Amino acid sequence: MKKILVLLLLAVVGFYVAETFFDIGFGNSHFVKNEAIKPVKDIYLQQTVQELKVSNTVTSIVVNFRGFDTLGEVTVLFLSVTALGSILYKKRHHVGERSVLFSASSIVTSGSKLLFPAIVLLGAYVFIHGHLSPGGGFQGGVIIATGFLLMLLAYENYSVSHNGLSIVESLAGITFAGVGLLGFMNGGTFLQNFLPTGVLNDLFSGGVIPIIYIAVGFKVAAELTGVIYTVLNEKGEQNG
Amino acid sequence: MVGTPVLFIAIPLLAAFLIPLIGMVWKESVRIIPGLVLAYLLVLAINLLSYVTVNGPIVEVIAGWAPPIGINLVFNAFSGFLVTIMVFMGLLVWLYSYRFKSNVEYEAARKYFLLLMMLVTGSVGIVLTGDIFNMFVFIEITGISGYALTAFYTGRDSAEASFKYLMMGSIASVLLLLAIMIIYSQLGTLNMADVASKMHLMDPKLKAVSFILFVIALGIEAEVFPLNGWAPDAYAEAPGPVGAAFAGIVVKAAVYALIRYTYTIFDLSGAFNLLIIIGLITLVVAEVAAIRQEKLKRMLAYSSIGQMGLVLVSFGIGTKEGVFAALFIMLNHAIIKPLLFFSGSYLVYHSKKKMISDVDGMGKLAPLTSILFTLGAFAIVGLPPFAGFWSKLSFLMAAADSNMLLIIGLILTVSVVELVYYMRVVNRIFFFKRATHLLARRPTFNAYVVMIVLGLMILGIGFYPDSVSNYLHHAANSLFDKSQYIHSVLTATIQ
Repeated sequence: MKKILVLLLLAVVGFYVAETFFDIGFGNSHFVKNEAIKPVKDIYLQQTVQELKVSNTVTSIVVNFRGFDTLGEVTVLFLSVTALGSILYKKRHHVGERSVLFSASSIVTSGSKLLFPAIVLLGAYVFIHGHLSPGGGFQGGVIIATGFLLMLLAYENYSVSHNGLSIVESLAGITFAGVGLLGFMNGGTFLQNFLPTGVLNDLFSGGVIPIIYIAVGFKVAAELTGVIYTVLNEKGEQNG
Repeated sequence: MVGTPVLFIAIPLLAAFLIPLIGMVWKESVRIIPGLVLAYLLVLAINLLSYVTVNGPIVEVIAGWAPPIGINLVFNAFSGFLVTIMVFMGLLVWLYSYRFKSNVEYEAARKYFLLLMMLVTGSVGIVLTGDIFNMFVFIEITGISGYALTAFYTGRDSAEASFKYLMMGSIASVLLLLAIMIIYSQLGTLNMADVASKMHLMDPKLKAVSFILFVIALGIEAEVFPLNGWAPDAYAEAPGPVGAAFAGIVVKAAVYALIRYTYTIFDLSGAFNLLIIIGLITLVVAEVAAIRQEKLKRMLAYSSIGQMGLVLVSFGIGTKEGVFAALFIMLNHAIIKPLLFFSGSYLVYHSKKKMISDVDGMGKLAPLTSILFTLGAFAIVGLPPFAGFWSKLSFLMAAADSNMLLIIGLILTVSVVELVYYMRVVNRIFFFKRATHLLARRPTFNAYVVMIVLGLMILGIGFYPDSVSNYLHHAANSLFDKSQYIHSVLTATIQ
């Protein structure tokens, strides 16, 4: 009886919330219905090309207009990895080898070896061209991490240096925060662009945007690899 | 001006990324750097606060885009006051844990101090930001640090507590995001001041839905009944200093968010009554639950929830006096509750189950700790001449000014309940015979320093309430001046 009541209540609440969202019409180009309101998105679309010389608007929003949020999100990822490490930490001393049901066949191992560099290259391409084409630091980083996942699955004793990962992670984070602070010193506000923006659609354009996105790419790749490695291989290296 | 508000976020983040690198070379740095960062932030906070009381609010633009295009931080008398308390408490918690955690290994210590620093940073960010999505990001940072710190002892119970907290926190995040989506879809902006100035253009139905979603999401973080199922477990299972940090820092940030939404952003007329109602229910349920607890930390956790209920009622009164009283209660709670957590966790240090009965006869074994605990208990109940008395008095006066006599009666009744369960513990400490052979653990030097500082502050505010009330009046006024907030943000330029 109690369960039925709960379900009924949930259904009512769910119906009203869903109905609210149904009315909004996400995805329409003019979903802000009130004519008197000028949404900030128009400014974003205009300024991205004019001022920042970046052809990917999403990148300009993520890294420049709302770069502070991205710094926060990168920190969230960093904290998740730290949290995971601190929770799995005690177990690491006891669990031995990774448990493997059966080892991968030679097709998988040699195939992975061939694919691995290509995956890493694709990931690097995606985050280096983050300001020109779809994709960016987060996507590129995830692609690189899948490359490491493939290697970890194909080879039982494949190992990644924990210290190495943590160095990459830290350096990338320092780059992001450091570029922000440099903008603070040069332009007066945190994360402000202080480099010449160059020519639209050039690889070297957009000021600090590509630098930040490459740092994000490295950071995400290192962190997700770290997560995969920690979960797969709870033994890990002994920190001392 | 010696610095700007963005340093409250940038410096800790930079330090958080640096710590793993420096830690490889110099192990002790993982303990020292967070403390140095927090000490620097405290100096910065005090400087900025004194600047703000003279020169008016600081609105900081980020990434060179003035509001509403970019993100901005607002440091005014209200947010600055909370930031100063939070950073100060963060520093004390750090000092307290500095030796408390001396026996744990390098790796665990590194993570503990890193997460502690980020817990403070996230909470400070929630208070400083002037952007509703940016606030979401900081709530995430605070939440993830909180989940990890709750599970720090990696036992079964702490894992369960952390999991509960994680689930509730994730639901809160989802609801918060939905509410933000509704607002953005209607008003095309995320800046708080801009949203507030356009709020009257929003469809009333959507306004109500997004407000309810905000209240539920932030209610989970602010431990409002019935959304606080995670809180007692998290307080009880987390390490002692972390419980103190939750009570002194994290809940304050969540209450701030709730207040910012009801006072500044939404213009709903029923919102204040809603605050009073949820505050009263939270207060009564929490205090009644506290009297039934057998574990010391759970009792303190319920008492903490009750205090937050009182703060909400006080904000709900909706007058300047009410806001003043609410801020005063928040300040006192931020000082007193950590003292109770610190001294309490030493009183039950060696017992396995951390029962209230384990404190029997501690008054002879650990007199100083016991006296400090008692001081905290007297203060939080509101006995004169301690700090808590003045905040409760100002609350009652604010309620009387608004003719809320029923509420006064209810609060006084609940205070009696509060008195009963705190005096029960104090009675056990001093007048019961020790039943077990467990010895008292001697607090470390740092812990003594921290507890004595807090004790002196309780006495100081108790004897000279005027020393803080000026700042509190400033802070209360700045929360009330909505049009000035909107104006100062929307006309902000790059300095």
